[in-house]
Amino acid sequence: MGNKQTIFTPEQLDAYQDCTFFTRKEILRLFYRYRDLAPQLVPLDYTDKPDVTLPYELIGSMPELKDNPFRQRIAEVFSEDGDGNMTLDDFLDMFSVLSEMAPRDLKAYYAFKIYDFNNDDYICKSDLEKTVNKLTRNELTPEEVSLVCEKVIYEADVDNDGKLSLEDFQRMITRAPDFLR
Amino acid sequence: MSYYNEAFENPDYHFSETLEIDRGRSSQKNLFSHQSPYDSSLHGSSGEYSGRGQNYPLAIPMASMRHDSEYSEGLPRVNVLSESPYGNSVAVNLSFEPEPELPYSPPSTFHLMDGPYTHRMSDVSEDSFIRRRNRIPPDEIFMTTSSLFETDAVCKEEEKLVGNLASMSTSERIKAIQKMPETMKKKREIRNKVLKEITKKSRHRTTQHSCCTQCLQGIVVSFRRFGNSLSEHLHLLQLWHKTLKIIGAKFGTSVLSYFIFLKWLLAFNIFSFLINFSFITIPQFVAAEPNNLSFMGLELFTGSGYFQQTVLYYGFYTNATISKIENGPTYNMQLAYIFTVGIYFVICFLILLFSMAKSFCRNFINPQAYSGNASKLLCTWDFNITNEKAVKLKQKNLSTQIKEDLTEVNREVLDFSVTERVVRIVIHLVSWVASLGTAVAACAGVYFLSINNLKLFVKEHKNDLESQAAMLVLPIVASLLNTFVPFFYSWLGHLERFQTPGQQIYVTITRNVILKISIVGILCYYWLNIVAASESQCWETLVGQDIYRLVLVDFIFCLLGSFFGEFLRRIIGTTVCVSLGPPEFDIGRNVLDLIYAQTLTWIGILFSPLLPGIQMISFSIVFYVKKVSLMMNCHPPRKVWRTAQMTTSFMFLLFFPSFLGVLSVIGVTVWRLKPSEECGPFRGLSSMYAAVSEWIKILDNYSASKWVVWIYHNLITSELFFFILSVFVL
Repeated sequence: MGNKQTIFTPEQLDAYQDCTFFTRKEILRLFYRYRDLAPQLVPLDYTDKPDVTLPYELIGSMPELKDNPFRQRIAEVFSEDGDGNMTLDDFLDMFSVLSEMAPRDLKAYYAFKIYDFNNDDYICKSDLEKTVNKLTRNELTPEEVSLVCEKVIYEADVDNDGKLSLEDFQRMITRAPDFLR
Repeated sequence: MSYYNEAFENPDYHFSETLEIDRGRSSQKNLFSHQSPYDSSLHGSSGEYSGRGQNYPLAIPMASMRHDSEYSEGLPRVNVLSESPYGNSVAVNLSFEPEPELPYSPPSTFHLMDGPYTHRMSDVSEDSFIRRRNRIPPDEIFMTTSSLFETDAVCKEEEKLVGNLASMSTSERIKAIQKMPETMKKKREIRNKVLKEITKKSRHRTTQHSCCTQCLQGIVVSFRRFGNSLSEHLHLLQLWHKTLKIIGAKFGTSVLSYFIFLKWLLAFNIFSFLINFSFITIPQFVAAEPNNLSFMGLELFTGSGYFQQTVLYYGFYTNATISKIENGPTYNMQLAYIFTVGIYFVICFLILLFSMAKSFCRNFINPQAYSGNASKLLCTWDFNITNEKAVKLKQKNLSTQIKEDLTEVNREVLDFSVTERVVRIVIHLVSWVASLGTAVAACAGVYFLSINNLKLFVKEHKNDLESQAAMLVLPIVASLLNTFVPFFYSWLGHLERFQTPGQQIYVTITRNVILKISIVGILCYYWLNIVAASESQCWETLVGQDIYRLVLVDFIFCLLGSFFGEFLRRIIGTTVCVSLGPPEFDIGRNVLDLIYAQTLTWIGILFSPLLPGIQMISFSIVFYVKKVSLMMNCHPPRKVWRTAQMTTSFMFLLFFPSFLGVLSVIGVTVWRLKPSEECGPFRGLSSMYAAVSEWIKILDNYSASKWVVWIYHNLITSELFFFILSVFVL
């Protein structure tokens, strides 16, 4: 393939190819999507590794994410400083994990982080309540929400500490093959 | 900042205050950032930080910390990494910390932990390692990156990781790096370190052969680049990739599974067509006889008339040994025909077996575990959906489902009284009897019609329009039965009150399968026993024509069904009778139609080798019609349709009743039935299989091919071989 593009050095592209699940073409296409969000902020030349971060509002307005109730959490999990503002690296990383080529274990790990709203490495009852509300658009009453969360914890919590750890979550995932397919 | 304004206005950002809270907390946590290296292996709670950048945990394969012996045993590194689902940093925050405000328990408490974790420190025994693996897969440990580079032992961990990665092959290494749950920066650092390590190693080794290995490495790198670009181009060959993505986005994965199944069947048919065409039809073109019949338009529908003397049917194929040049290489048509068909079925069998095994392994679930609330909540969200309407609908579904579940809890407790139970059983029995009765009646109808059909064939000299059109009656009746009886079955399903909707779906699908199988079965019986024994000139061609007509009429009915079932239904649903609403895409019925069509094709391959080509065209048209109809008319499915389980059961249905049934039909044809005297490649022989046995006898005379004869006598004709084979398969 000819090296006709001047955005990245060949070494940078090789590194991206090794670290994500994307091919060269896909990486370039994603770069153009990233750039389209803010053409004045993103330079066309990344060979000197510029430090460009796009604010969360732009990321959240992408058509792929705009209707996803978890878009804010997704952006937070993948951004470097946790506030949803993403560099190109974070952007590529996010789409790499969300793509269909990523293995289920990797997705499960990140899904756990997405559902873990307070970032304490456990999905506790308040995390679950927020998840339920996001998934049902606040249609359930608070009592119903609370009941559902209790049932979930009761079912999935194996080490009985009142919250779901990563192992509990993964054990549940392995028993539900529809996850993220 | 507009950021926060938008957040507060949008109800979805109801909980965006977590951001501020997290910021406040993370400043607290910075005080607790130091841990000792091995203790920190248990200490995952460094993840308190809201972002990834600062204290991002580093995944290190547990085995690298100890158990070097395991490596020397040649444990594939990739397996270790993949088995360990990035678990486990959370090992620490046990019952000591009820609230996340206290992220770090003091190091002393590490040792007062639950049973599973106590063995962590005593790393020597295999036994504990295995025990850990079984209980929780703690193969990886997370450590904080900031402390990582501050402490020596942790640096050693990374070195070990780098060393292990360097010792893997290139593709394995790339896969391992891709799978690491790290930031891109971290992955790049590790990758660069690994590459340095590799060049160091190769420099040590190749001081003598420097130019050779450099050349080799250069070749390897350029080969890899070439392979990458090739795979990019191959990606373009994937049919309909974009369409499938759009369907998945708008309608969810369950509807998508139907289209993926259709695409898979289409690929299958392309493959069969290529094989049959190249090995059987092309040689036949060389030795073709002239066609004296005239072409009338009706042939496209009835398949007889002009088409009788073309490569479409078995009867046209010659039994001679074809050779274009005098004394040149010969091509024995008889052997070619039987071997092509035989090997094709063997390949089909293997492909189906593999796909079934693969999807079964991947999707095997404990049904009870799946119905739990936990998985319903956390695992059913379909992240593929990007359409706003679909998202809203899905959210509504989920809330309705949860509400239903909550009320159902009370209902399950109710015990049915004895009379109610008896009534329910009686209702079930009656509906089963009704459905089986309908199936039997349908079969009887088809049988009598087909006997009638045969009479038409025997007097096939009349080629006028009337008798031609009369031949279409049988396929039309069969398709009508296949279309309308399922509606009767779903109505029955509504009448009986099943305990769960899932049961209703399964029972309805089972009844439909029984109906379709019995219709195909009765047709096969008719073909093999009655047509073959009749006095017609060329019974295989007759069977081929019948199958052609069935396939064609089924295709037309599929298109009509799409038109009436979805288009008209939408118009009725939105204008005349608004309460009905737009229709839903009926996945079960459509998949069964596909399986039925594929079964007919498989049966017909022996009698009409070009049938896969026809089916290929029809499947492509069906794909586009269904897609357009779906986009225009239907709305996303209401019920949660367990996609993975369904895909497995589709494969299963395709394999067991359909393929094995076809195998037995073909087996009976090849072994038992006498081919017709005057047409086809096997004319004059006592059975189609006799061609092979004669060939073996001829081979016996040549000493060079005695091994083939030996294989034939000892393996293929011996039952023991088949017994072992079937045990192996099962």
